[in-house]
Amino acid sequence: MGKGRAAGQESCQCGGEAEFAFWRPVAGCFAGTKSHGQAYPFSACKTHVGQMDLEATWRDAPRRLRAATARAAAFACVLSLMGCSGVQSALDPAGGDARQIYWLTVIMTVGGTLIFLFVTGLLLYAIFAPPERRAWLGSRRTIVYGGLAFPIVILSALLPYGLIVMRDTDVPMPDALPIEVIGEQYWWRVKYPVEGGKPEFATANELVVPVGRPVTVSVTSADVIHSFWIPNFGGKIDMIPGRINRLNFTAERPGIYRGVCAEFCGDQHARMAFDMVALEPAAFEAWRAAQAKPAQDPDAPHLARGRELFRIAGCGSCHVVRGTEGNGAFGPDLTHVGSRRTIGAGQFPNNIGTLAGWIANTQHIKPGVRMPSYGSFTGEDLRALAGYLESLK
Amino acid sequence: MLAGLVAWAVQFTVIYGATSTLCGRGWVGATMLGVGNVQAIILAATLAALAVTALALAWSLRLYGQAGDRAAPADRFMSQTGALINGFSLLVILWHGIPAFILPACA
Ligand code: HEC
Ligand SMILES: [Cu+2]
Repeated sequence: MGKGRAAGQESCQCGGEAEFAFWRPVAGCFAGTKSHGQAYPFSACKTHVGQMDLEATWRDAPRRLRAATARAAAFACVLSLMGCSGVQSALDPAGGDARQIYWLTVIMTVGGTLIFLFVTGLLLYAIFAPPERRAWLGSRRTIVYGGLAFPIVILSALLPYGLIVMRDTDVPMPDALPIEVIGEQYWWRVKYPVEGGKPEFATANELVVPVGRPVTVSVTSADVIHSFWIPNFGGKIDMIPGRINRLNFTAERPGIYRGVCAEFCGDQHARMAFDMVALEPAAFEAWRAAQAKPAQDPDAPHLARGRELFRIAGCGSCHVVRGTEGNGAFGPDLTHVGSRRTIGAGQFPNNIGTLAGWIANTQHIKPGVRMPSYGSFTGEDLRALAGYLESLK
Repeated sequence: MLAGLVAWAVQFTVIYGATSTLCGRGWVGATMLGVGNVQAIILAATLAALAVTALALAWSLRLYGQAGDRAAPADRFMSQTGALINGFSLLVILWHGIPAFILPACA
């Protein structure tokens, strides 16, 4: 053993003793690249694999395992801090459908991991155990029970389970609240159609639903394919031009969540998100009644100046502000833009500063969106315009 | 030896064909004895395929039993493979029939 080890160290010039282990020639040969700062020459692969030092590897194994476990634990920790609860997480379901999908995921992942570890253990056993002790692995009984019966039983149980999850999620309900969402580069047009005598209205980048009542979201696209996904509430659904897809779910607890576009749709795809707000039924009705009203009239001179600027600058050729001349259907409805939590499709908190920044710098902060930058307003005018928009509650 | 696979292929064709034709034409409402027509067809096709495959399995198992240790290696291999294939076909036909009784016919 001593000789092979020394030779290996010489030719690969690894630093400390701990650096030389079985994985180095293997990794080096596959990657053919630098590891630990030194190039690993392909020509050395053959010799090194030949010199793989099993004994040293065994001796080193516990330390290596400990280090790896620590790393994995740290990683899992970070992951759980990032993803296990929150406004945009499939691991924190807030509706029945999402919960079923969540458990399916957990069972598949944990089950798959356990089976993988078990089989890997058997594999290692088959390689390293003394022949007389591992002989049972090759027996007909092991193969029939472990190789045939076991997978058949598992798969036969998973098939109906998966089918039942499929049947019980995304089920259309007769009394569901209808909402229409249209994906556009790079924002969401949201429409609440007439329902039970309540008037229709449009908003944008925001989905508000009542808790406890089923919702049917009908989605389509105005340009390219987008995908509508609110991780806390269920699966994704593609938004396809010329086609209407439907997603059904029920929010179970009030809160603020976040949805995203889950299909690459262009430069600003990553900045195409929206807020999803689940309200108690009474609050929802109040919100709906307020949204259906035309825009509020300005109650201060500088806000009136803002409305005038909105008209002069031609914002109304792309934006609707119900109750004013502005009736352009190209961009988001701004009638109640001040009541939304965010602007720019879930990108910035909504306040006078971000509104002004958006207007003056549109192409800078979200390059490629279909709204020009309006960089030539004076500071005072910009404040008036942004203040006007903010006042549109 | 291939009877199981053939039965599976036939079952597959019948249930896919029947489901898409009936759903596409909107003929789904009709029922036979309280069972939806799609389900009824799938049930019939599945049972028929299962019966054929079970027979084939029994037969290939018998062949396998007859081909004792003294049989030619090729014969032993063929009878073993036949039994395996028919056994798997049985299972797969069953798996193929299950979804119709859990999911709605035309979702
Ligand atoms: C050429 C059409 C067009 C014109 C003109 C236009 N916009 Fe826009 N505007 C858009 C589009 C498209 C968006 C959506 C951008 C995106 O993808 O996030 C938008 C977004 C906005 C938003 C954010 C809305 C939200 O809910 O996220 C505000 C605020 C806004 N515009 C204000 C203005 C103002 C003020 C003017 C006039 C100075 C103006 N726009 C002129 C097309 C236009
Ligand atoms: Cu998109």
